[in-house]
Amino acid sequence: MPELIIDQRKIVVPEGTKVIAAAEQLGIMIPRFCYHPALGSLGACRMCAVLFKEGPVKGLEMSCMVDVQDGMVVSTTDPEAVAFRKWIVECLMLNHPHDCPVCDEGGHCLLQDETVSGGHGLRRYRGKKRTYTDQNLGPFIQHEMNRCIHCWRCRRFYQEYAGYHDLGAFGIGNRTYFGRSEEGALSSPFSGNLVDICPTGVFTDKPSRFKGRRWDFERAPTLCLNCSLGCNMVASTRYRELVRMEARLNSRVNGYFICDRGRYGFQYANHPERPRRPTVDGAAAAWEEALHAASERLQAIREKNGRQAVACLGSVRTSLESQARLALLCRNQGWPEPLFFSDPSLSRKTRTAVSRLDSTLAVSMKDMEDADLILVVGSDPINEAPMLALALRQAQRRGAVLAVLDPRPVSLPAAFQHVPIRPSRLRSALCALITNAVPHDAAKLADPGRLQYHQRCARVAAEDREIMEQLAALPVQLRKSRRPVIVCGTDVVPETIPSLAADLALLLKQVKDDAGLFYVLNGANAFGAALLSPPDEPSGTMIENIENGNTRALLLVETDPFNRFPDQRRLRDALARLELLITVDYLPSPALSMAHIVLPACTAFETKAHYANQEGRIQTAWPAYEGGTPLSQVSGGTHPPRSFGDDLPGGESRNACRVLADLDAKLSGREENRHPVDLWNRLEERGVSVPRDFPWDENPEVSARVSVRTPEQPFSPGTLSATHDSVTDGAFSLLLVEWTFGTEELSSCSPAARQAENPPFLTMHAEDAAALGLASGDMVLLHLDDTRLKLGVQVAEKTAKGILILPRHRQLDWQGISRIPAMLFKKHIERTEA
Amino acid sequence: MSEYVLLQDYHPGRTTSLEKYRRRGGYEGLAEALRKWSSAELRQVITDSGLRGCGGAGFPTGRKWEGIRQDAPLPRYILANADEMEPGTFKDRLLIHASPHMIIEGMILAGYAVSAQKGIMFIRPSYETQARIMEKAVEEARQEGYLGTHILGSGFDFDIKIHRSGGRYICGEASAQIKAIQGMRPRPDKTFHMVQHGLWGKPTIVNNVETLAFVPHIVRKGGAWFQSLAEGENNGGTKLYCISGKVRRPGCYEAPMGTRLSEIIEELAGGMLPGCTFKACLPGGASSSFMTREHYHIAMDFDSLKAVGNRMGTGAIIVFDQNTCLVGATLNLIEYFARESCGFCTPCREGLPFTRDLLRRIEAGEGEESFIPLLKDMCHFMTHAYCAFAQGAATPVHALLTFFEEEVREHVRRKKCPYGTTHRWPGTGIEDSCRN
Repeated sequence: MPELIIDQRKIVVPEGTKVIAAAEQLGIMIPRFCYHPALGSLGACRMCAVLFKEGPVKGLEMSCMVDVQDGMVVSTTDPEAVAFRKWIVECLMLNHPHDCPVCDEGGHCLLQDETVSGGHGLRRYRGKKRTYTDQNLGPFIQHEMNRCIHCWRCRRFYQEYAGYHDLGAFGIGNRTYFGRSEEGALSSPFSGNLVDICPTGVFTDKPSRFKGRRWDFERAPTLCLNCSLGCNMVASTRYRELVRMEARLNSRVNGYFICDRGRYGFQYANHPERPRRPTVDGAAAAWEEALHAASERLQAIREKNGRQAVACLGSVRTSLESQARLALLCRNQGWPEPLFFSDPSLSRKTRTAVSRLDSTLAVSMKDMEDADLILVVGSDPINEAPMLALALRQAQRRGAVLAVLDPRPVSLPAAFQHVPIRPSRLRSALCALITNAVPHDAAKLADPGRLQYHQRCARVAAEDREIMEQLAALPVQLRKSRRPVIVCGTDVVPETIPSLAADLALLLKQVKDDAGLFYVLNGANAFGAALLSPPDEPSGTMIENIENGNTRALLLVETDPFNRFPDQRRLRDALARLELLITVDYLPSPALSMAHIVLPACTAFETKAHYANQEGRIQTAWPAYEGGTPLSQVSGGTHPPRSFGDDLPGGESRNACRVLADLDAKLSGREENRHPVDLWNRLEERGVSVPRDFPWDENPEVSARVSVRTPEQPFSPGTLSATHDSVTDGAFSLLLVEWTFGTEELSSCSPAARQAENPPFLTMHAEDAAALGLASGDMVLLHLDDTRLKLGVQVAEKTAKGILILPRHRQLDWQGISRIPAMLFKKHIERTEA
Repeated sequence: MSEYVLLQDYHPGRTTSLEKYRRRGGYEGLAEALRKWSSAELRQVITDSGLRGCGGAGFPTGRKWEGIRQDAPLPRYILANADEMEPGTFKDRLLIHASPHMIIEGMILAGYAVSAQKGIMFIRPSYETQARIMEKAVEEARQEGYLGTHILGSGFDFDIKIHRSGGRYICGEASAQIKAIQGMRPRPDKTFHMVQHGLWGKPTIVNNVETLAFVPHIVRKGGAWFQSLAEGENNGGTKLYCISGKVRRPGCYEAPMGTRLSEIIEELAGGMLPGCTFKACLPGGASSSFMTREHYHIAMDFDSLKAVGNRMGTGAIIVFDQNTCLVGATLNLIEYFARESCGFCTPCREGLPFTRDLLRRIEAGEGEESFIPLLKDMCHFMTHAYCAFAQGAATPVHALLTFFEEEVREHVRRKKCPYGTTHRWPGTGIEDSCRN
């Protein structure tokens, strides 16, 4: 490894490191604009000039362009280099509008920092400044081109890194323009990163525009709860309002970037209808009163109907602590164990995924970039977990082949092979891949039982005659790959798939240099929910138990059972039958409005808690503020407020964990039940090893990956027994799917994210559309069991035949389906006028 | 008069036909090379001849060709650079008129030498007439079996396409040019080597058309003959000198490499215009340095000019007389360069408009003493730009401040241009005091 001297300090760094990065390791931040660790060197801004005094390179050179070499002696402070850098800043400031007082970037602006630290103060240029016309780039990004210093970061991120092309550079010389060919919303779901990456105020955050300076904000490291990836963010709050999110570097998870759903999906915390005080039977009550009422009524039901009459539903968006506390409450009270999924099928799939995610197989998004082939099974990354799409693109830029087995018209910002097959055929596709991509002898060598498994796979694959043809070159590519990764979704796939995907990954691992497994789960803490779910299948679903009278009281903890539930009327009727419905939540959900007792909870931004992302990585979200109703909502938009008090307005929300502990103590009359839950202990009981001495509190970037100690048996015969691919002629199965914007629970409550929603439409294959006499752009009336939906039609080539794809869209009253999977016929799909 | 090589068939207003080119031995060299020589032998012949690139840098052509490794991937490309946008330079245009087939034969031979199968001529869009001449000639060559598969019965395949540029100066730079052809934003890029990852990521040779036109002659008549054409040591061939400015007969002349400047001005161009005396010239296009009377008799070749701190460039000589304001002349060049900067790096994108503003002010009589050291500093800083463009653009400014500092000071002192030149820069806020 080369050894060099930078500013009289010796450093040894790996071959291929740039001098600018080596200096950074010494704590020397060489000024830069175009260089960015994620984008690499460019050499355009000329700001990082340093003087090479000795060694193989001599003279003034750009430190981002020169690889370290043995014997280099570098000075970052030599007068020649300083004078040059000062001139560069002067050049960049020639046309800059000096509008820092009205620029949102002011206060955390790299250009400000470099101008001040570089010593450029007196303006020598007397010419007129160049001016540009700005564009409306949609709801997220404010454009102000006059501030541009032409560092090219935006274009490089947008086009090269993220793979979208509707923002670029136009013109030449000092008239070079960064924007779109015409005004309009940016098409990339990663556009918000332009705000983070722009070294000055060309792209600023529109929803938080003029809401405060960096130093006005209370800020804290937090996590994104808008999908299962657990991207790291920084939250900024001011006047009790959550104002803005920025990406936070986590080199294992999201790198430097986050998606727009995460960046703009946080405003549910400011929701004007957010429950902010406890209520009992619709009337406001003090906490003590509400807890007392809850405990009294729970006791009464227990005495009347027994302990089994109380059911608890947790969720996939609540913290590990709350999940564990809920489980403890149920145990202490002798209630049935809590559920965390209202959809039993999703529960089974998620639990299978979590139990199969062996620590030797699990890969992070960062690890995925080293793969040479990535097979995505039953997942639509842009719609389900956008940052995964960005990771896939990085893998491809490093040479990986991408393939997607999914019924939807998946689009990725990277070239990939798409095999659009119905979910029911994913099984035969995976079996065909196992049979063709993993040699028989390798399977035999490993274990005689596996040969049998292999043969069974071959039989399943043989049942589906067309599958080999549709997979095309994929089996061969998989056989040739050295480091494949299997990405498996858990939403649209049948229950056998997560386990089969794990089998494939495990078999590949035995014959390849390396192989990885990456699940996409449903919910920020779905992993934790699966860990803390009861190991045995509960008797009857939640709704059945209510309907048959087994459940008389229901405790909902940060969950809305209406979310994703297909039959709204049935659920409403069921909840109405309950003698007692208690809701602990922060979202103004329909279930909340039906609750007898409402106990307002804190969001993840108001309390410290842990969450486990889809790879089992436990991360910490730190509180950014105390909570309370945003000042703008109580003061009528004026400041300072006109009413005064000694309490925090709207600040009565409590951490769900504490609420459950208080309830536990009240119910049992034992004060020790109020103690905080020992999370690690609870997890260990579930067979999860957690490094106890982890320095959780020292550094917000600390995270630990956990996995279940006794994973479900691989190659289980159960996986391949049930076969179900009965296609009725002329029938279409309805596939309910997620969209980037408009379907996810939390971001659907965020006004900023709502602005990016597309109107929902029904997607189908071209042949199916022809059979139904429909074309793209037509309007249809879709007759579901209990509802009629009017929506547009999109015809796609790369879609599985025989399915109709419908988003669980907020703007769509889709929750009137009594039977899942829903089958539709031509009579149900009626063409109508716009 | 010395021998004409490139312009042997040149008649103003008329394009040399294939017939005429063949009568003069055209395509014989190709036939001979394909029959007798391996590609390595052909490369050796060119290397031995000492042919140097005529696009400006003067890089030995043989060495460039040898840069493609034997085992480098196929296909490989020959790129003929006819994106002639250097101010004062018009030799390529003339050459295309003089003999399109000479360029085609040169490209085919270059292709043979490096095992390339595809040739592309990148031509300036304002040369539409010349592009059509080339297209017609390429079609003729195809008909005659000089292009296509199994050229002249050999196993060698080669074809040529004419690509019209979008029309920006920076596209003349090789790496920007290949980006332009690939439909990308043209900008210089130093992250790859042309001979390894050029056009479409494949080995590519970029040569000026004048360079390529010499190749058939060298093949036919040998390196020794080529060297004998030139004046002085270490020189080879003739050179197309473009001369413009205050001379009697501006134009493009073919003369031995190393012909003296005085000879070119006085004999070829017929001397200075009546009443004009030589004050200075730019010897190699707009990005070379002003040459004063001191070097009036200098030999016009790469090494001699380099020895006096100047550059041969494209061999475009722009002559200024005693009544020309050199501040104005330099400003005129900077106006061009500031407009044509690709905008990629800061010193060029911002430094040139800054320089332009200062020069405009000096020329308009608004100059200040402090501008002079500032301009000097900026000329130095611009040498640290990403590519050679800004450095080239700063060269005449640097020369102005080195050799004609007194003239600049006079502008500042008298608060007007002593030559009384007038300019208009609408919208800049700079008033030209000389206007009244």
